[in-house]
Amino acid sequence: MAVIVQTKELAQTVVASVVAGVGATLVFSIAIWGAARSVDLNRSQRPVAAAAAATLGVLALAVTLATVVIGIVVMTSK
Amino acid sequence: MSSDIVLVIVVGTALAFDFTNGFHDTANVVATTISTRAARPQVAIGVASLLNFLGAFISISVAATVANDVVNADVITPTIVFAGLIGAIAWNLVTWWLGLPSSSSHALIGGVVGSAVAAAGIDAVLAEGLVGKVLIPAVVAPVVAFLVAGLSIGIVYRIVGRQRPGPVTRGFRYGQVVSGGLLALAHGTNDAQKTMGVITLALIANGTLGPNSDPPLWVIVSAATAIALGTYSGGWRIIRTTGTRIIKMDSAQGFSAQGAGAAVILASTHFGFPLSTTHVINGGVMGAGAGKRVSAVRWGVAGNIMVAWLLTLPAAAAIGAAAYGLSTVVGSGALGPVLVSLLFISVLVVAFARRNDQGASAPAG
Repeated sequence: MAVIVQTKELAQTVVASVVAGVGATLVFSIAIWGAARSVDLNRSQRPVAAAAAATLGVLALAVTLATVVIGIVVMTSK
Repeated sequence: MSSDIVLVIVVGTALAFDFTNGFHDTANVVATTISTRAARPQVAIGVASLLNFLGAFISISVAATVANDVVNADVITPTIVFAGLIGAIAWNLVTWWLGLPSSSSHALIGGVVGSAVAAAGIDAVLAEGLVGKVLIPAVVAPVVAFLVAGLSIGIVYRIVGRQRPGPVTRGFRYGQVVSGGLLALAHGTNDAQKTMGVITLALIANGTLGPNSDPPLWVIVSAATAIALGTYSGGWRIIRTTGTRIIKMDSAQGFSAQGAGAAVILASTHFGFPLSTTHVINGGVMGAGAGKRVSAVRWGVAGNIMVAWLLTLPAAAAIGAAAYGLSTVVGSGALGPVLVSLLFISVLVVAFARRNDQGASAPAG
């Protein structure tokens, strides 16, 4: 049964799917939070906090795009 | 000479299947993008078809599985592959007609398995490959997509739930352009490879290629082109079902569903699992709905879709077996497949003509 069910490949597929799917959504949400919060803080005359939120947003966006690129590269490497 | 004629018919039929696959599965790729207004329908469909085309070139693992691991290539003939394709196309068109997003992939594998069993008995099926690489991933993949999308949308609402909705919605719409593109790429790479695998199987059965061969370049290019053209032609009935009737989605849910779907399909493709992109994206859509509120999912519609999923393998197998019986009733040459092709095309023409007549005579509004 263990031979028929390709346990290792299936487990790796599940883990990769969860890490990539949840991870990419998490960091992209942080990017959006950073952008939205930055605008609000600027309106509240808090430029330092706004800059910090914007920086976090940009970093999170970069991580999201890197995740997408790495995902495609890993998939095409076989 | 006779087997070469059958081979030409098989390649034509496989590319027709690939076209219907793209046509049928357009909804899987673009429905969430369109329903959340992240992109206009024609733009979303155009980009999806281009990425479908490109996706077909980035892997051949799934094609190898379909060609070598599902049925025993030693007993397969081009006529068996032809009959399997007829089973798959017929089931695809029936479910398209009814507006149900069933699986083109399972229709294809069901059709080939059914015709192979009708021709050579149960020994023609490679149980290890069918169970391990098709059936179990078929169950696991949509469940994983459901869970990933549900978990993702929970995280999204926790992080951005207190922000003003305007910027958040706009941000996730931009995100959907990327997640939708990734899903289209994933769809192209997994689904186009199934047609490549079937054509390769027919070429091996005909002796044109050696055992365990990879698909030649012309097979890859033609499969990529057929699925891209099919996707561009679109399937508006199913777009409506997937995009609005399962749940009413916001852009964050659309992003979560597409991200989950793309992650599952790309990871599965890496290991050569020919899974159903339809099942996966619908699992993601339901997960994104249930993650917000379980009652947000229209479980009645979801139930109808699940029934279509359960029926797909046996129904396509039965049609494939019947098509094989019809194809061989006049002997083992090319005449049977030619007659079945003509019969099949005639039925399609009559059905579409009647449908157009009914559409034309229906009262407005």
